[in-house]
Formats: sequence, structure tokens, C-alpha cells
Amino acid sequence: MPPLLTLDALRDQVRHIENPQMTRHGVLPFGVEAIDRALPGGGLALGALHEILGAGGDEEDGAAAAGFTAGILARLTNSLESRISPQPSPRLNGPTEAPRENAAVISLRSLRGREARSEPAYPHSPRPNGVGSTLSRIAGEGADGRSPEAGEGAILWCLKRPDVYGPGLAGHGLDPARLVIAAAKRDDDILWAMEEGLRTGRAAGLAGVVGEIGRLPMVAGRRLQLAAESSGVTAFLLRRWRNAAEAAGERGRPTAAVTRWRVAALPSAGIADEPGIGRPLWRLELLRCRAGVPAAWIVESADATGHVCLAAELADRPAMPRRTVADAPVRRAG
Amino acid sequence: MIAIGGRRLLAAVNPAACAAGLAPGMPLADALSFLPGLAAVPAEPAADAAALLRLAEWCGRYSPWTAPDGTDGVKIEITGCGHLWGGEAALAADLASRLGRQGLTHRIAIAGTLGAAWALARFAARSGGPAFAHPDDTSEALAPLPVEALRLDPPTVAGLRRVGLRRIGELYPMPRAALGRRFGASVAQRLDQALDRLPEPLSPLEPAPTRRVRLSFAEPISEPADLARAANRLTENLAHWLAREGVGARRLDLAFLRVDGQVEHIRLGTARASRDAGHLAALFAARLETIDPGLGVEDMILAAYRVEPLAIEQTGLAGTGVDTAEAGLAPLIDRLGIRLGPGALSCLEARASHIPERASVNAVIGEDGKTPIIPGRGAAANPEPMNTGSADLARRVFLGSGLGPAGRPGMTKKKAGASTGKAPRPVRLFRPPEPIEAMFVVPDDPPFRFTWRRRSHAVARADGPERIAEEWWQPDATGAAAAVRDYYRVEDAEGRRFWLFRAGLGEQPHWFLHGVFA
Repeated sequence: MPPLLTLDALRDQVRHIENPQMTRHGVLPFGVEAIDRALPGGGLALGALHEILGAGGDEEDGAAAAGFTAGILARLTNSLESRISPQPSPRLNGPTEAPRENAAVISLRSLRGREARSEPAYPHSPRPNGVGSTLSRIAGEGADGRSPEAGEGAILWCLKRPDVYGPGLAGHGLDPARLVIAAAKRDDDILWAMEEGLRTGRAAGLAGVVGEIGRLPMVAGRRLQLAAESSGVTAFLLRRWRNAAEAAGERGRPTAAVTRWRVAALPSAGIADEPGIGRPLWRLELLRCRAGVPAAWIVESADATGHVCLAAELADRPAMPRRTVADAPVRRAG
Repeated sequence: MIAIGGRRLLAAVNPAACAAGLAPGMPLADALSFLPGLAAVPAEPAADAAALLRLAEWCGRYSPWTAPDGTDGVKIEITGCGHLWGGEAALAADLASRLGRQGLTHRIAIAGTLGAAWALARFAARSGGPAFAHPDDTSEALAPLPVEALRLDPPTVAGLRRVGLRRIGELYPMPRAALGRRFGASVAQRLDQALDRLPEPLSPLEPAPTRRVRLSFAEPISEPADLARAANRLTENLAHWLAREGVGARRLDLAFLRVDGQVEHIRLGTARASRDAGHLAALFAARLETIDPGLGVEDMILAAYRVEPLAIEQTGLAGTGVDTAEAGLAPLIDRLGIRLGPGALSCLEARASHIPERASVNAVIGEDGKTPIIPGRGAAANPEPMNTGSADLARRVFLGSGLGPAGRPGMTKKKAGASTGKAPRPVRLFRPPEPIEAMFVVPDDPPFRFTWRRRSHAVARADGPERIAEEWWQPDATGAAAAVRDYYRVEDAEGRRFWLFRAGLGEQPHWFLHGVFA
């Protein structure tokens, strides 16, 4: 076994000793090597609470945050659906990546005293533009031992003002027909509705819960995280603040979420000789990640399949401070 | 006392006035001459009708088929209900005692037909005891009653009296044809209805429920905990019956019959046919606080008004979650709907329209009693998801000549079908569009700077225009030039992307911000 594999396996083991709940429900990789490397388990933890912030003026509208969330949910629901299709598709991942994941998952299972399966990774169609392979790896089974399929894919989206726009979400890959919109007037009601959704569980057909919320007490966040952990439904908190004062008060507060992201729109990547709006870019920051490494990337916004990809280096693009995993200050939280 | 044509007439009199010789219909002036100390109050027919309606509703404790009758009666269809009270006599006695406790004078009759009961109640029953007519003895029971008891209009009654027909029994031997010729069809019809030769259906106040369960209390209850317990027992009972019939309830009504004759209701609908007692009880429990028990509730009635077939389900062991898998999202939608209120839950529904705000509408779940589409289930089976639908339907007109100077930096013209194939749509759409102050060089150009929500944005790049015209085939189309919108996708210096449009084509166009891109 190459030394890298051993090290990763050991890391995983340590992670599970530290927090056995961590990746119980598996992870959803971004399909971007740089992002997945910063996340424990190689992807966004499923059955967990994730917090997504806007930036600047968008803190009020949460458009970029909604687009980012829509992309994740699109990949989440599509991956669930592809699992239902019975025909075994050939392994499409690159050979360099697969064994590492195999090792990690098998060690995870043997540690938990379960029977190791020979094919823990579920192959998925590769990214159309070939920037990486999407690997929907739902390693763990549901809390009750049931497999999480059976018509999953509805998304409960709780908000105050129903301003999400179907065709716009579709542009980031999310089928709007999956959405159940719950409009509530108060933050309390939104938190309550989210928790109800999370407690309903995956068995009822719910894949994700999204809540747009201004003020988030620590206790409420903790409750949501626990509910998500126990049911396996992934939850997203989109923070939308009415004004700068509220934003300033809430932005720095600690949270019970497993990850905290900030998505900011960047000037689009122009195409040479075409002066209009090019490919929309985001500055994607992983501000906080339990057992992970904070980092930031510049990515192209989620495409019609919900994927983001690292922005190509362009000469005429305005210089942006860019941190990668390597040069990011190591700050472990959680 | 009522006022008719400037005269004031007595509408109703109490026993004391009756003893003094007063009668309804008498002018007030005459009545005052009989009884100078008469206390007269204006009649309130609307309030009387409302009170009668309430009484009819309260009578729902005896049978689901109740309705007010005219202005002074309540009809109750008690077929099959008598034995629940230990016989019809016991039912009548119970009704009499409860009405007495409410301070209502009453005359009760039970008969085989509506007509016979009507006649007996008004002309045979005394306030003391109810009148009964066994279905076989209806004709004998009615025979001594005056012809007014047949529910005939006054001219007909006068005509019958003129020829000496005073009692119903005197009509029995008369030839039908002669009766009909002389007094119209109504006499024979009413007689046949009273004698059960013609059917006379009773239209109940509420539509007849499919299944109904009732719980009566020896002592009136008013504690919230007691009400909740009673609601639980009722839902369990109802669920048992629904399961036996293989159906689930979609619309339910829980009625609280108060001691004072008032009836309070909790009505609710479920997103999916359900007979899960726990789920239904939880839905009622969430609304219990809206119920005012007053001095106490003596009966609770739970009725299922709409049911749908529901296959027998394998109930899992506690906690194995088989039930939730079967029920899907419906219980969640019910719970959310109860707390967040009607209209709070919606689905995004694609519509065939190119007007952005019409292309995707929030369709309220559960409205019009329609079954909500539970997303996720069968979403995969839908071959044409929305993202291919609406955008393609959008009629886009890309202006070729309307653009500004070709070499202008920071602007491009995208041809239809260029690169992506369809114009991008924003993630957030504001309804209605928010007005902005825009600064532009030429009216046909996108603005170079605009102010939205008191913040100024410098436009760095722009795409467009995409012209979206009004739907002229819609009835509300105005045909005005202001209804034409030119949409621009603009990016400000920070990188935020907005969807702006210019309404109208004139020299002084109005600018709006319609959405924000991710």
C-alpha cells in the first residue's frame, strides 16, 4: 500500500474516533479536486447542516448563495436518482482516484464492525466538460439501516418572501418541480419548518431542506444539526440579512453548522473580443469546516448540471487574492 | 313586531300575551289597546334565522342529517339513529330535556315522513310531550289534523275550507283528479308526501359525511387537555372505521357542541388521504387553541367529508419508518400547512408564457381541494422537466439594429442561440419589479449607472436587449407601448449581475430591476 493511502485511511479513522457522527451519511463530492481535498471525507457531508453566506450587497438578496445551494441540491438529487437506476454502469472514475476512496471507505466500515463491501463507491457519469469526475459516494447507510433511495428528491425551501425563480434555479441544474416552498413570516417559523422537514427524514422522500434566515440563535442551529444528523437529510441555511446592522451582528457569530461558506459574485470571465458578460464567476470561501481546512477558490458558477469548476487562469482577469489549501493558514475548527 | 307597508304588526307573542288575546299578524296599535302595558321589541329575522341555523347544527348530535325548516323549525333525519339513544322515545326525551335546559319551548314529533312529522309537531304535539306516529299509522295520526298541517299555501287552505274540507282525514276519500283540478297539484302532492307515497328528500345542512364518530360526555368538559384527549379518541375511532372501509380522509371536521347550544368547528384538509390516527390527532391538536369551549363541551363529533381509497398498508414496528415511507411528504405538508397557515406552501409550476413572472408561478398546495403534486415522487418519470420547458417557450426577439455603437466597450450583442442557446434567468425574481433610477446615453442602450435601493451601481458589462412583448392574445393585454420590455443582463463593478428592463419605447422610459443572478 502506498504511504499516501495509509495516511488517508488513518486520518479517516482518527476523524471517526473524534466524531463518529461525521460522515455517517456519506459525502457529496464537488468533483473538483481542490475543493474536495479541503473537506473531510472528500466532499460535502450529507445529513448535516451547512451555512451559506452572501457577500456585500448580496447579503440582502442571497442570489449567489441560492445559486450555489441550487447547484449542490441538483447534484444531490441527481446522484440519488442515478442510484435507483438498476443497471450497473462501468466504473468511470480515473484509476488514480478510486483506490484511495476505496481504502478510506473500507477502513471506515471495518472500524465500525460492519461487513466491508467491495464496491463502496457509486460510479456516476463524469463531468461533461471533463474537469473532474463526479463521484456520488454515499458511503454510509441510513440511520435505521435502510438504503436511502425510494423516490427521494423533494426539497423543502423555507423562506420569508417567495422570490426564488424556477427557471433561474433550473439554470443551476435544480429541477424546480422538486421544490416545496414554505413561506413563513418569522425566523422562528422558518426554523421550526426546517426542523419539521429534517425530522421527517429521508424515508419520506425529502432530499434536502433549505432555510433562508436572518437571525440564528446557537441553540436553533444546534437543533437543526442534530435533526439533520439523525435523519440523514442535508440542510442548508442561507443567511439573508435585511440591513448592514443585522449583517454585522450575525456574520461573526459561531454556528453549529458543519461548514460555513461564503459565495460572492465576481466580475465574469470575459471572452476575448466579446465584451459582454462572460462566464459568471464566484469567489467561493470555505470559512469554517469542522475537521477541515478553511480555503477559498475562484470558480465558475454552477452550470446546468449543478457543477462548479475552477476558473481558468486568464491573463486579463483582475488579480484576486487566491488562497489554496497549500498556502491557507491552517485553522482547524470544530 | 315587524313593519310592513308602514304598519307595525306583531310578529310573535309570548304565552302571556297570547292569553290576553293577542296573535301574530295583529297591528301593534290594536294590540296596545288590548294590553296598554305591552312591551314590544323590533323583530330581528336575520338573528332568528342565525339562531335557528345554530340550533340545527347543534342537533347534529342526534344525526348528521339536520336542517332548519322554514323560520320556526328544525328537521332531523333520525333513521337508524334511534337505537343509539335507546329508542326514539328516549331520543325525543333527551332532546326535550336539553332544549328545555337551553330555555327553548319546543314541540317534538317523530314520524315516518317529513310531512307527517311537520304536521304532528305543529298541530298535535304539546309542549309537554312529543308526538309519535308509527309509519304504519301515519294516515290515522294525520286524519284529525286540520288541512293547514299539509304545508299548503293560505289560498289553497281557504279554498279547501270553503268547500267544507277541514280535516286531513276528509281528504282521504276524495278522488285525486277532482282535487287536482280544483285546488292544483299541491294538495295531492303534499298529501302523498305526508303519507309516504311520494319521496321527499331532506337536504342536510352540511353535506352528509362519509363516516362520523361521536363522543358524548357525562359532564361538560372545557380543559384543553381533556379536549385533546377526546380528539385523540375520536381520531382513533375514525381511523378504525376508515381502515375497515379501505379509505383515507381528505377533509375532516371536528365539531364541538357546547352546553349553550353553540357549535365550534375545526375543519382541515390533508395533503394525502390519511387514516393515521396519530397524524390526524396532531393536526387537530395544533388547532385546539382556537376553540372556545365556553361553559363546557358536551359532545364532540368528528366527521370525514371526503375520503379516497387508500390501500391497506403494512404498518411497521415502532420506529422502523415503513409508515413514513408510504405516506411520503403528505404528513409534513399537513403539519407545515397547519402552522404556517393556508397558502404558505406552494410548488413552482412552469407555465407556457414568456412573461418572466408568468413563466413560473407559485401554485399553492392543497388549494381547490386539488391533490398536490408531491415533488420527488415521480419527478424522475417526468420526461420534460421545467428547465427545458419555459425557456424554450419564451419568445425572444433580439434586436439587430437597436443597439448602440458597435464598438462600444463593455457591451455585446448576443445572437439568438449563441453559446448557451437560451437566455439565462435570474435566481431571484422580484414581484413586482423594483423601479430603479437609470442613467443612459441613448434610450436604446443599457444604463451605464443605476440606483437601486438607494445604492448606486456602475454597469461594467451588459448583455441584451432581449425584447419581451406583451401577450396580445391574453384578455388583459393593453396593447400599450409601455407593455413592451427590453431586458438587459448587466454586471456591476463588484461583479453582481442584475436583470434590468426598460418598459416602453419612448424618450422617457421607465427602468426596473426584475431579478438578481447568482
